[in-house]
Amino acid sequence: MQVSEETFMGVPRKDIPWCPAIDYEKCDYCMECDEFCPHGVFERREGEEKKLVVAHPENCVVFCKVCAKTCGPDALSFPDKTETLELIKRLREDKRDG
Amino acid sequence: MAEKNKPVVLPCNGIDKEAGAISRELALLLLEKGADVICPVLYQSNPKRYQKKLESGKLLVIDGCKTGCASKLAREHGLKIAKKATVNELLKEENLKSGKSPVIGTEKLGLLPAWAERLEELEDIVAEEGGTHFKTPVSFRQFAFDKFIFKVPEAGYFFNENDCWARVEGDRARLGVSDYVQQSASDIIFFEPPEVGKELNMFDEAGSIESTKTALDIISPVSGTVTAVNQELVEAPELINSDPYVAGWAVEVALSDFESDRELLMDCAGYFDYLNEKVKKEYRKRYGGK
Repeated sequence: MQVSEETFMGVPRKDIPWCPAIDYEKCDYCMECDEFCPHGVFERREGEEKKLVVAHPENCVVFCKVCAKTCGPDALSFPDKTETLELIKRLREDKRDG
Repeated sequence: MAEKNKPVVLPCNGIDKEAGAISRELALLLLEKGADVICPVLYQSNPKRYQKKLESGKLLVIDGCKTGCASKLAREHGLKIAKKATVNELLKEENLKSGKSPVIGTEKLGLLPAWAERLEELEDIVAEEGGTHFKTPVSFRQFAFDKFIFKVPEAGYFFNENDCWARVEGDRARLGVSDYVQQSASDIIFFEPPEVGKELNMFDEAGSIESTKTALDIISPVSGTVTAVNQELVEAPELINSDPYVAGWAVEVALSDFESDRELLMDCAGYFDYLNEKVKKEYRKRYGGK
């Protein structure tokens, strides 16, 4: 079966670079964000230097930043909302103009 | 007898973080200036201990970081928050960040007396009432999937793909979350409103909610200025479960550019179809099959 492509506001999800970035200088691997996120964006890597990675950015809900609120050391950041919205608008126009 | 409207300070007091330590120091500075202070730990185990002070005073909550534990504690106990500040935001204004060590840095210690004064001057969080808008009855369409029934209003609402709605009347809108959100989140137990006066761009956070299962932001479908928050919802967040589209409204905004916002939104019929597809997809993801 052909799986239909995930989209957000009519734009392929993979074209929207919205996902958390981990600041490894600050992250203390408490894993609260991973425990919180119901979309499986993060993945734990036992025995590796970076014990937590953003493994599935495409699962992240565009414009959702709630995981950052669970982060005590403030190690999670997101792209700029306005820029992301501008990009989405541009991609929608490109699509409309063919 | 306790003095009426005396400030009562509830700091986060987090002992393992610098921001928490700063919230404690600020509370102590305010104590010296005559405020009452609540120890969150003692309050947790014996809330009656502070009942009198809270009844007669005005609650100032000082959170350390975005986790907002002090605000949460206040809401869990049904306390009315009159004023609120967050240490990390105060630090940001000075281009500073909380450090790794929970011991307060010297430079930051020097800032605290001025901050304490600012906190004394903080304005109360006030909410206006909604006025004459949004009184007309709303009718719904619904569809069933598996054992669930999803409702969507028939007209007057606009939706984004984050399942948040704007009910638009003239230059005003009320914002909230859809029936789908309330069913997926299950029992809603907190609503944290944004501040009245906050400027919202499209997709900015217009408050947040927490359920027994999860937490989420209300992502604004429109741009505008927050003119009111639903105080009833602060007191009874479960209104979102019982009536997500009407009584469960979260905030009211004065719209700034709805004509351009609406190009990016779905109307009721559009959201009805979108939600139908979304629910099917979620179900397939979870249980496989067609």
